[in-house]
Amino acid sequence: MLTQVGFIGLGVMGKPMAMNLIKGGYSLRVYGRRKEAMAPLVEAGAVACGSAEEAARGCDVIFTMVTTTRDVQEVVLGERGVIAGARPGAIVVDMGTISPAATRAIAARLAEAGIEALDAPVSGGGIGAISGNLSIMVGGKPEIFEQVKPLFSCMGKNIVHIGPNSAGQVAKACNQMVMLIALQGLAEAFTFARRNGLDSARVYEALSGGAAQSRVLEVLGKRMVERNYDPGIEARLHYKDIQIVLDEAHTLGMALPGTALVMQMFNALIGRGGGNQDSSQLIEVIEAISKP
Amino acid sequence: MSNMNVNVGFIGLGIMGKPMALNLIKGGYPLRVYGRRVESMAPLAAAGAHACASPEEVARAADMTFIMVSDTQDVEQVILGPKGVLSGAQPGAIVVDMSTISPVATRSLASRLMDHGVEMLDAPVSGGETGAVNGTLSLMVGGKPEVFTRVKPLFERLGKKIVHIGANGAGQAAKACNQIVASMTIEGVAEAFTFARRNGVDPGRVREALLGGFANSRILEVHGQRMLDRDFRPGFKVRLHQKDLRIVMETAHQMGIALPGSALVAQHLNALIGSGDGELDSSALVQVIERLNEGR
Repeated sequence: MLTQVGFIGLGVMGKPMAMNLIKGGYSLRVYGRRKEAMAPLVEAGAVACGSAEEAARGCDVIFTMVTTTRDVQEVVLGERGVIAGARPGAIVVDMGTISPAATRAIAARLAEAGIEALDAPVSGGGIGAISGNLSIMVGGKPEIFEQVKPLFSCMGKNIVHIGPNSAGQVAKACNQMVMLIALQGLAEAFTFARRNGLDSARVYEALSGGAAQSRVLEVLGKRMVERNYDPGIEARLHYKDIQIVLDEAHTLGMALPGTALVMQMFNALIGRGGGNQDSSQLIEVIEAISKP
Repeated sequence: MSNMNVNVGFIGLGIMGKPMALNLIKGGYPLRVYGRRVESMAPLAAAGAHACASPEEVARAADMTFIMVSDTQDVEQVILGPKGVLSGAQPGAIVVDMSTISPVATRSLASRLMDHGVEMLDAPVSGGETGAVNGTLSLMVGGKPEVFTRVKPLFERLGKKIVHIGANGAGQAAKACNQIVASMTIEGVAEAFTFARRNGVDPGRVREALLGGFANSRILEVHGQRMLDRDFRPGFKVRLHQKDLRIVMETAHQMGIALPGSALVAQHLNALIGSGDGELDSSALVQVIERLNEGR
């Protein structure tokens, strides 16, 4: 039984996920770069720590939920990082979305120190994190996955062990490709509908019942219809994720033409200053291309 | 000032760097050279150059230090790394980077060097190995005009068309523009020839007709002919083209600029690399378009 849990990274995603672990009866040691990020967790019973190293000390399992590949490398392997505090046999679970190649390298470094690793990126956004409804895609040894599974169950519903280390990140990359190309499709469809003088709310309603139905349509399509771009998922995060996907494609020598096009649309969105708005704002880039 | 009074450093003695360094020696400039592989320095030493053990040692006694290495990280390492140019260069010296790297990284390198009173030019080239050997490269230069003027006599030993584009990074930005136009033109010729074939039309005749019109270009002429002959000997290798285009795409990503056409060509280059065609000439891009249209 894993009982002592560390949690590092208490942002939009990490905070509610850590809360759900506390609710599930686990005792938490937490660390967030911003001190004030730790306050609500401490109020709920967590122990605030001064570094990732300190948060890892004495823990059976340590979760990390930070933004970039470099952040994970820093938090896990850096000075005062998890690797300095974790005991042999402990399990490090990275739930951020980062490079598969870097994930394999981190797992190998941890293994040298006798520490186990899982990659477990999630899909479902802030809403899924709060309601404990995330999809979790896991890479790592099956027996390690089984040990951590009860904790995953506090945070998510659809929990799938995909394969060895980094398999979770690869699955997440697939998730992002499907989702973001669908988003591009929605942005084009609603622009097309509006230019034909249609009420996009009616189109949304019609599409929701047919073969074009999807969760992206349901959530982000609705935001496009309402032109409400409060995040949700900030565009800058998807923009970061697509770069991970295309870096892999470059290294593997494979063509992902659709994903590559969507990345350019995200570049334009970021260039327009939309990085902190919801990704559904992509529709405004499509509209701008063919302004009547 | 006689050429003998200008001490010149040259770092990076690969396919491009070696003939460029030799052309400077022919121009009468005393050269201090450094190459990662010791054996790469031998032909230069035989021609009279002084072989050094590190970029730092090259820069220590050089008024101008040229760099010709593969990518952004290499340039950063050569300049900022341990035993790098920065630790050897005297205030007032000039660093001339002729590699093709990121304009964003170039601007930051220039400002790091300026902090130590060292000037920088970025001067990426186009024209390949042939141009390097014959001294007929095209040079696109970024940096202060007065620094450009000082280095220009040396540039003239390396190339024919030498254009000062603007401030630091401007040369790299121009090189990126060169890649954007060239990549998409190759893609266009490849698509047109495939379209012609599928319509039962001889693409050789199409090329001939197009050469007289608005679609005329050096790429239609040269790469078009290679596509017709199925002669994919390089030329400019797919692998290097992929690398250069990646710099463009990363810069566009960093700066929030959409380049949808270039992005598509980059994917087609990826596909070529994955099918083991990285050592072929870029005109092999036509094979990707053909594969897309197979099976009917």
